[in-house]
Amino acid sequence: MKKIINLPEDFVEEFVEGILLAHPDLVKTPGSDRRILVRADAPQAGKVGIITGGGSGHLPLFKGYVGMGLCSGVAIGNVFSSPSSAQIFEASKAVNGGAGILYLYGNYGGDVLNFDLAADLAELEDIPTRTVLARDDVASQPNDNRLERRGVAGIFFAYKVAGAAAERGESIEAVARIAEDVVEHTATMGIGLAPTIMPITGKPSFELLDGEMEIGIGIHGEPGTHRGPLKTADEIAEHLVRALVQDLGLTAGARVAVLVNGMGATPLEELYVLYRKTHKLLYELGIEISKNYVGEYATSLEMAGASISLLALNDERLALLRAPAKSPFFEEN
Amino acid sequence: MLGLELNDHIRRSMAEWIKSADELRELDQALGDGDLGITISAGSRAVIAALELLPADSTPAEIARACAKAFANANPSTMAALVAGALLEGSKVWSNSSDITLPDAHAFVHAAAESIALRGKTKLGDKTIYDGIAAVADALNGQEDRVAALGFAVTAASDAVERTKGLQSRRGRASWLQERSIGFADPGATALLRLVESWRAVGTTTSG
Repeated sequence: MKKIINLPEDFVEEFVEGILLAHPDLVKTPGSDRRILVRADAPQAGKVGIITGGGSGHLPLFKGYVGMGLCSGVAIGNVFSSPSSAQIFEASKAVNGGAGILYLYGNYGGDVLNFDLAADLAELEDIPTRTVLARDDVASQPNDNRLERRGVAGIFFAYKVAGAAAERGESIEAVARIAEDVVEHTATMGIGLAPTIMPITGKPSFELLDGEMEIGIGIHGEPGTHRGPLKTADEIAEHLVRALVQDLGLTAGARVAVLVNGMGATPLEELYVLYRKTHKLLYELGIEISKNYVGEYATSLEMAGASISLLALNDERLALLRAPAKSPFFEEN
Repeated sequence: MLGLELNDHIRRSMAEWIKSADELRELDQALGDGDLGITISAGSRAVIAALELLPADSTPAEIARACAKAFANANPSTMAALVAGALLEGSKVWSNSSDITLPDAHAFVHAAAESIALRGKTKLGDKTIYDGIAAVADALNGQEDRVAALGFAVTAASDAVERTKGLQSRRGRASWLQERSIGFADPGATALLRLVESWRAVGTTTSG
């Protein structure tokens, strides 16, 4: 294992400390636990707070999207494991502006358990919460079982849109409705080329033969739909885009936002090669790209691979997507 | 059982329950990730500490909530989150009770069991703590004598553990072992048995 770390068990604390030192104007920790991070100007009186969280190892998820027009706070656990209910509850109290809290995170068992328990704790202190789960990974379950899908990179769209709605002062019911609406209209699919090495164990997160790719891979290296020999970038883009277009039921005249996401070890050049073909395919299908994002938005440490996400747009979603936002890893002016 | 008696009974039960931590750790190492012993020992100690700080006039529902928070935070494992959620759900059925009766106890355990089934997405025969707590809830139903009820509860929990030995784990990390999980008692159901046994053991020393 070759990594730029100190003691493996200090890895999480130390990267979080680095974020706090680099962005004191944007984020702060409300107490002594650095795994809880909130906006530097939290709480926003009278506004809905949005709390997210999950395992470490996915930057810019989750800590990178805390800021104006995005999430209000976050709690993270160890690499690929859930934060505790107490940490989520602490984050909730720190961002509570009196208008309720939305829990917005990916659909994973451990996270759901701990966020649900945090919601119980919040209820005991009269802080109303709502929960919306990101479930955009189309390879994890078929469409008719989409409520069981995992959440992956497409959660970025939910942060951006729900965060803008909270920022403009919408009610908890409205922010939750808008977040759910984005989740329903988001689809993501990825491919993996090489695993990440887990910092504590020194072992790979999954195994893949040389020259093979895993199609539909999850953000922790979960198996996808199948494995096969590595294809060209254009073939990969075509496979992913066609699956997403079909899943969302997009037809000519539709408008979308596109996110081409790198999983940690895939260079930006390769992501743009993927974007190139994605752009051309959507153009051929008569689908308009109203907004595009290319880069690392949700990673799996140094896993090699990429995912493509589409968000079907209407006027409301597009307006909120274009609203201003500012966080350590993302800015929209 | 009034709040003060309940508080005292829980603390003495927890002190007894901790003694099974090593057994549970070893069972969990065979089937899961081995942290059940810590969840039980750290959780019990945290519950005792939290209950010592509660005012004497705390209601049974407040006591159950304090237990839930302490247990959840002590070692935030999946089991701790499930148990804490179950205790909170149980506390809701006690919201108007100052003196816990056997029907109240049954309603609490039943609500707690349903919470575990819902949040753990588990059902009977999946080889989990739910197999144990559902059996205990059934055993308490309609009971009128406290000593007899506890006897039935221990027997039900013990029978449930025996049944899990023949089952394959279908939830959590233990399910990764597939058919190799057959033959082992489920650690969660065993933890519940040890808790019910502890509850009975400390109860016989007082009139509570």
